Amino acid sequence: MFNETILIEYLPILIFIVLALGISGAAVIGSLLVAKQKPDPDKNAAYECGFDAFSDTRGKFDVRFYLVTLLFIIFDLEIAFLFPWAISLKDIGMFGFWSMMAFLGVLTVGFIYEWKKGALDWE
Amino acid sequence: MILAAVFYLFAFILLLSGFLVITARNPVHSVLFLILAFFNAAGLFVLLGAEFIAMILVIVYVGAVAVLFLFVVMMLDIDFAHLRKGAMQYVPLGLLVGVILLTELVISVSAWQFNSLSQQNLAVPEIGLNAATNTQALGAVLYTQYVYAFQLAGLILLVAMIGAIVLTHRVRPGVRKQSIESQNARRPEEAMEILKVQSGAGIS
Repeated sequence: MFNETILIEYLPILIFIVLALGISGAAVIGSLLVAKQKPDPDKNAAYECGFDAFSDTRGKFDVRFYLVTLLFIIFDLEIAFLFPWAISLKDIGMFGFWSMMAFLGVLTVGFIYEWKKGALDWE
Repeated sequence: MILAAVFYLFAFILLLSGFLVITARNPVHSVLFLILAFFNAAGLFVLLGAEFIAMILVIVYVGAVAVLFLFVVMMLDIDFAHLRKGAMQYVPLGLLVGVILLTELVISVSAWQFNSLSQQNLAVPEIGLNAATNTQALGAVLYTQYVYAFQLAGLILLVAMIGAIVLTHRVRPGVRKQSIESQNARRPEEAMEILKVQSGAGIS
C-alpha cells in the first residue's frame, strides 16, 4: 500500500456504507422475523387494479432508446477525459491545451453529424 | 487490519455478485448484480489507490454501460425460460469446449515466463505516486506525452458515434416532425382569415 493517507479520506464513506448495509439489512431481516408471513397465491399475484395482468412486464423497447444511450456513453467518456485535463492544465502548457481542443474538435464533428442526421430528434 | 477486512468485504461481494450475474434467472436481476459488481470493483480500485479509475468506473460503467445493458435486456423481449428449456442437451458439448479451453489456458500460462526486463517498466511510474494525486499524474502525461494514443481515443469515439447512428438510426417516412423554422415563418395574414358574418347567415 503506497500511502494510506488517501484511504483515511475515504473512511467516512466506508462508515456510511457500513451504516447503510446495517440499516437496510435490519429492515429486511427485521420484517422477516417480526411480521407474520402467510403468503397465498392472491397476495403474491401482481396487482393491476383489479384486472388479471394483461401481459408480461417485459415489453419491447424502441431501439431509439438504445441510440440515445450509446450517444450518451460517448459524451460521458469525453467528459471523463476532461477531468484530468482541467486539473493539470497549468502544467501541460499550450500543447496540452490544443491537444484537448483537437480531441474535442473530432468529437464535435461527430456531434454535428448526429445533429444533422436527426439522431437527436424524437419524431 | 481494517484494510484487509474491507478488501475481503469488497472482494467477496464482487465475486458473489459476479456469480449471481450468470446464475440469476431474471436477466434484469443479472444487470442489477452487474451494477453491484461494478461498485465493488470501484471499491477495490480505491483500496489500490487508483481513485480516478474508481470514480470513472462508477460514472461510466454504472452510469452508462449498465443502462445500456438494461436497454438491451429490455429490448430483446426474449422468453428466457423458453430458451433454457432445451439447454441441457448441449451440456456435454459445452463441457468439452470448456475443458479444452481450460487445458489450453493452463498449458500456456504454465509455460509463460515474464521477461526480466518487463519488471523495470512496472517499477518506474512516470510520476511519483506520492507526489501528486491520481488525476494530476494522469493529466500530466496523457495530453502531451501520450498525445497520439489520446487522439486515437477521440477517433475511436467518433467511429463509435457514427457507427451507432448508422446502425440504429432510421428515418421513418410519414412522421410529422416539428419544424421550428416554418412555425416561426408563419404570419397571421396567411394563417387566419377574419370574416364578417351576418347574423343568421352562417359561413359557406
